[in-house]
Amino acid sequence: MMAAKIRQPGWYRALAFSILGVLVCLGLSTGLRAAFSVDPVYDGESVLQISLLMVPLFFLGGIGCFDYWLRWASGRTVVDDHADHGAKSWRDYFKVNTDHKVIGIQYIVVSFFFMFIGGLMAMLVRAELAAPGRQFVDPNTYNGIFSVHATLLIFLFVIPVFAGIANYVIPLMIGAPDMAFPRLNALSFWMLPVAGVMMLLSFLAPGGSFASGWTAYAPLSVDAPIGQAFFTIAVQFAGASSIATALNFLVTIITMRAPGMTFFRMPLLVWANFSTSLLVVIATPFIAASQFMVILDRALGFNFFNPSGGGDVLMYQHVFWFYSHPAVYIMMLPGFGIISEVLATRARKPVFGYRMMAFSLLAIVLLGFTVWAHHMFVSGMSDWIRIPMMITTAIIAIPTGIKIFSWVATLWRGVLKMDTPMLWATGFIAMFTLGGISGVMLAMVPLDIHVSDTYFIVAHIHYVLFGGSLFTIYAGIYFWFPKMTGRMFNERLGKLHFWLTFIFFNITFAPMHLIGVQGMPRRVSDYAEQFATWNMIISLASFVVGLSTLIFLYNMIVSWRSGPKAGANPWNSLTIEWQVSSPPPIFNFDAIPSVVGGPYEYGVPGAVHAVFDEAEPEPVAVGAGASASEAD
Amino acid sequence: MEAASIPSPVGHEGEHHHGPPIANQSSRVNSEVLGILLFIISEIMLFGAFFAAYFFIRVVSADGWPPGEGLPVAVAGINCAILLSSSVTMHWTDVSAKRDNQMAMRIGIVTTFLLGLTFLFIQINEYLHLGFTPETSASASVFFGLTGLHGAHVVIGLLLLWMSAVRIFKGKVGPDHHRGLEVPGIYWHFVDAMWIVVFTTIYIL
Amino acid sequence: MTAKNWIVLLAIIVVASVIGIVFMLALSWFPEQGSNVAPEIDTFWDVLVIVSVPIFVAVTTVMLFSIWRWRQRPGEEDLDGPPIHGSTKLEVIWTIIPTIIIAALTTYAAILLVDIQAAPAKGTRVVNVNGVQFAWDFETQTADGPVKTAKLYLPINEPVKFNVRSKDVIHDFWVPAFRLKVDAVPGITTSYNLTPTKLGTFDVVCAELCGLGHAYMRQTVTVLTAERYATMMAKLTKASGTPVAAAGGDGIGEQLFVAGNPATGATACGACHTLAAAGTTGVTGPNLDKELKADNASAADIMEMIVDPNKEIAKGYSKGIMPANYATTMTKAELDALTKYIYESVQGKG
Ligand code: HEA
Ligand code: HEA
Ligand code: HEC
Ligand code: CUA
Ligand SMILES: [Cu+2]
Repeated sequence: MMAAKIRQPGWYRALAFSILGVLVCLGLSTGLRAAFSVDPVYDGESVLQISLLMVPLFFLGGIGCFDYWLRWASGRTVVDDHADHGAKSWRDYFKVNTDHKVIGIQYIVVSFFFMFIGGLMAMLVRAELAAPGRQFVDPNTYNGIFSVHATLLIFLFVIPVFAGIANYVIPLMIGAPDMAFPRLNALSFWMLPVAGVMMLLSFLAPGGSFASGWTAYAPLSVDAPIGQAFFTIAVQFAGASSIATALNFLVTIITMRAPGMTFFRMPLLVWANFSTSLLVVIATPFIAASQFMVILDRALGFNFFNPSGGGDVLMYQHVFWFYSHPAVYIMMLPGFGIISEVLATRARKPVFGYRMMAFSLLAIVLLGFTVWAHHMFVSGMSDWIRIPMMITTAIIAIPTGIKIFSWVATLWRGVLKMDTPMLWATGFIAMFTLGGISGVMLAMVPLDIHVSDTYFIVAHIHYVLFGGSLFTIYAGIYFWFPKMTGRMFNERLGKLHFWLTFIFFNITFAPMHLIGVQGMPRRVSDYAEQFATWNMIISLASFVVGLSTLIFLYNMIVSWRSGPKAGANPWNSLTIEWQVSSPPPIFNFDAIPSVVGGPYEYGVPGAVHAVFDEAEPEPVAVGAGASASEAD
Repeated sequence: MEAASIPSPVGHEGEHHHGPPIANQSSRVNSEVLGILLFIISEIMLFGAFFAAYFFIRVVSADGWPPGEGLPVAVAGINCAILLSSSVTMHWTDVSAKRDNQMAMRIGIVTTFLLGLTFLFIQINEYLHLGFTPETSASASVFFGLTGLHGAHVVIGLLLLWMSAVRIFKGKVGPDHHRGLEVPGIYWHFVDAMWIVVFTTIYIL
Repeated sequence: MTAKNWIVLLAIIVVASVIGIVFMLALSWFPEQGSNVAPEIDTFWDVLVIVSVPIFVAVTTVMLFSIWRWRQRPGEEDLDGPPIHGSTKLEVIWTIIPTIIIAALTTYAAILLVDIQAAPAKGTRVVNVNGVQFAWDFETQTADGPVKTAKLYLPINEPVKFNVRSKDVIHDFWVPAFRLKVDAVPGITTSYNLTPTKLGTFDVVCAELCGLGHAYMRQTVTVLTAERYATMMAKLTKASGTPVAAAGGDGIGEQLFVAGNPATGATACGACHTLAAAGTTGVTGPNLDKELKADNASAADIMEMIVDPNKEIAKGYSKGIMPANYATTMTKAELDALTKYIYESVQGKG
């Protein structure tokens, strides 16, 4: 019985494989050290670092991510009977599944789980900062908490939750039965919990969790205790996951669009994820490299960032920001896509200036690669780089402005249905404009020299990431909730969630601009007496933001279980995902629809975006209810 | 692998279970080929980051170059030739697959694999006789970083070639089933091309 | 939209912008202006505010106006808006206007930056600023050689150039009142220059996360009149002199406390501790006058606290902030002199 369980892919085998993995790493470490006669033969840190790298692979193998490929690689005939496609009960969500809809939900739920933990860390940060002096935690723990806060929210929440939403809707939107590489898709998902759990486990490491911020600047991260390695390696898994998903999106969008779905008939969400995926594929390897170098310096005594060995400390920042600036657009462009969908549907009007909306996304992608050093204006790099980087950075305001203005023009003369998704969308426009403008101020070098590394930056971060990305995520979750669950959420609770968050979000983060300019540095557990009043106000407001998030949680859980049934198309939208049932059939369509017009032809009588064959012939089933496909 | 023989875990309740509709093919490019090309773009960027490190340490910080007392350019040059010839045999294998020449395919894949292995062997041997280690200096770190990263890619490439070889020897590759050879092949050509760039910047410039 | 509607909309935008600008300018944003660049940067900020507020107000007002004017009313559930797909004219306008604004702002910023970055005049006073976990020390170049202190002193209205270095990780040398900052990067020297224009004592802040003591890496700079500065320097030169070579001799204890030992890298105690006798005002660590007296610490106790600071942690402070390397960066004789000095300074006064 037990043996059978362990042989099947699943949690038992994952556990067994993980234990095996630890033993292998132990053997590897001690074996190698003995072979090269390093003393002592047993070194806990070395075993730990190797395990961090390898055990996740054992786990992924155990849970079943590689079974199909290994079978293929061993030269067997592989038959895809779609057994692991689609969820028949809630248990299937805890297994490796190849259905993009299941994976989408897995992504969304897991990333919200990490969002709550990351948010809880923010609550601890605010509790500590409520008054000057030490309240609850020592400085080292404090540094760890805000580092984990930011890392979880960026790498385990915003980036993957967008991938999750896109996973769910993109194949439906473009009329594809699934993603191009469903098994790769599953692997991408399963790497996420691995990365997230690793980051959380760092709190158990001797010396505490990683504590050098989400930026992990060398040489601080090189000298830091072992907890830092959890960051370094977890980021590799999160990064690999995001590259694999991006590649999957690109191939899906390029090769699997329904007949008639030209690029300029794609909904803007698809455009947005197309652009984002380009960014991910091109930029993410840079953060992988930066962390590889850190781990080499840490574990094997390389000298990349060791000035006394001829290394270059600033090189870390160049490599890191070459990824992490594009990363901020990775965290924003999919949101832009969501807003376009929500606004068009709820304002009952075509998105204003569709083509410019698509081109401005591509412009942001291109420009995004030319601005990284705006994070380094005070880093001590050569002075001459500052002015060119200031100019390119400021230019990004132009394509972004095109988007903002076009959205506002989309609202103009519409029939605005001001329900929950729409509230978040319009709230987003206001908050992101504010955050974007403070970004342009930061781009102005003379001002940035004063406000860099202060709470002014913290304010900017949260206006663009919370008021920007998170607002769009909320808009998107409320918008597609009926599609994903087949049920309606509670509208009144949704509105309450919006208003509480909106108001207290502003009370929390707006004053940070002020105390930043007044001179309060960021990343401090203690501050000068003069900032005490504002910090108390900020902390109190932030707790309300936290509590308002519980309303959201309650609404989602209760509505998912017992909300009123939603029809196929509660928003009366034209795009394809709303033309199938809620939730959609297991293979999305019986036959692929044909696209005959633009996605947003609201107000044109009788306009449709896609047509479905009426009497669809039952696809011929191959074999015993399985389509055998010999992958070649 | 034993796992392979295990019956699928989820029971089939529904007899009416049918497969997905066939997706519309909206581009002439094959999806596997497009996938590997995009992956290669990612890989190029990964190398790009290490080249950035090279640039900063050699040019901006002006840590002495080359590390140690000169690099064994001749050995590396021979190695370069070995790797390049493996690209030729790889191509030959691929062409043979399309012509359904099973024998040529087998010889081709084995030669390619062995050439790759030789490259790796010479590289490791070179490491042992360099006279410096990554701990010596930043330029040494860069040297090992770039060549080591490339070496890791050779290893991955060899693994992929191994899989193709297994399938070739089981007779699973032919004119209609050559994607499993073509895709690792593209990757192998990339690994070779990247070596030319690494070789030039490290040993020649 | 009637003409009247347009006028109302425009009027709201103008009025709200004016209110917004007035409100924003009325807030007291910056700390006091302590250097020649401060007024320039503060003016730049005002310009940025004046440009930004109308952009934000315009976007939000048009949005709120649309919501107010065209929100769905009962009976309109099945209505769609007009199928407007775009307008090239509008799109050109809202591309060009931001372009002009951006061009103007970056030009202004570039000119200002070139001005700030301008190389210092020959003969400008040089101060070496050294960051170490978790304290700054300052080395002022004078005619009689360098003077090392835990606290920064500057004469008013005299240009000064800071050469900023780090011994371990990245720090950032920032005086909010001066408005300028730059990272202290291990392996290279960074710098900036300015002219202090206001008498008084201002905060020196470390603005780059540098480890667990980062929050406490706060010191002060005092700007003095030329005469008082000269006197102060003379006094400090006497205390400093050449690196501590021979043990014993008067003033060694105080010198170590105020300036540490540059030769071995021993950080100045005064950077973190207040001690009336030495005239230091650091706040990172406990106030030694108060705490040691309250503890009634013996010389041996003090010695242990210096050599092994993590053994017992003063209440309200954290482990790992006070350097634990004094046993290696100071000789036995130096430690004895330092301990004796501290003991006498604390107990001597009552
Ligand atoms: C979603 C994430 C996101 C987004 C979208 C942005 C967008 C922008 N950011 Fe931001 N940024 C971050 C996340 C983001 N940022 C984070 C996390 C950090 C801190 C990292 C760290 O150190 O931890 C940071 C830091 C940061 C810095 C470094 C500050 C420092 O450390 O010293 C700078 C400097 O130039 C900057 C600038 C900008 C600019 C110019 C934009 C632009 O893209 C904004 C463009 C948008 C608009 C301008 C609004 C709409 C436009 C109009 C209405 C048109 C008219 C407007 C004008 C003419 C002005 N950002
Ligand atoms: C998407 C990104 C994101 C999001 C959503 C948030 C959300 C929040 N952030 Fe965060 N933050 C960052 C990204 C983000 N942050 C980044 C990148 C940094 C920089 C880090 C660095 O310097 O390296 C940062 C840094 C940062 C700091 C500066 C720390 C420092 O420099 O010392 C602060 C301080 O106030 C802060 C606060 C908050 C608060 C109060 C929220 C709140 O809005 C969170 C609200 C959500 C919840 C609270 C979760 C749900 C609620 C519950 C689980 C119920 C429990 C509730 C109660 C007990 C009341 N953040
Ligand atoms: C980077 C900051 C820093 C420097 C430099 C530093 N200290 Fe401290 N010191 C601290 C902190 C923080 C504490 C409190 C934590 C502890 O007890 O270790 C402390 C504690 C002490 C105590 C114990 C006080 C008590 O009430 O228990 C003594 C005595 C002391 N320091 C003396 C010195 C002397 C002498 C030097 C220089 C040779 C010095 N310190 C340098 C930060 C510093
Ligand atoms: Cu030094 Cu922060
Ligand atoms: Cu940026």
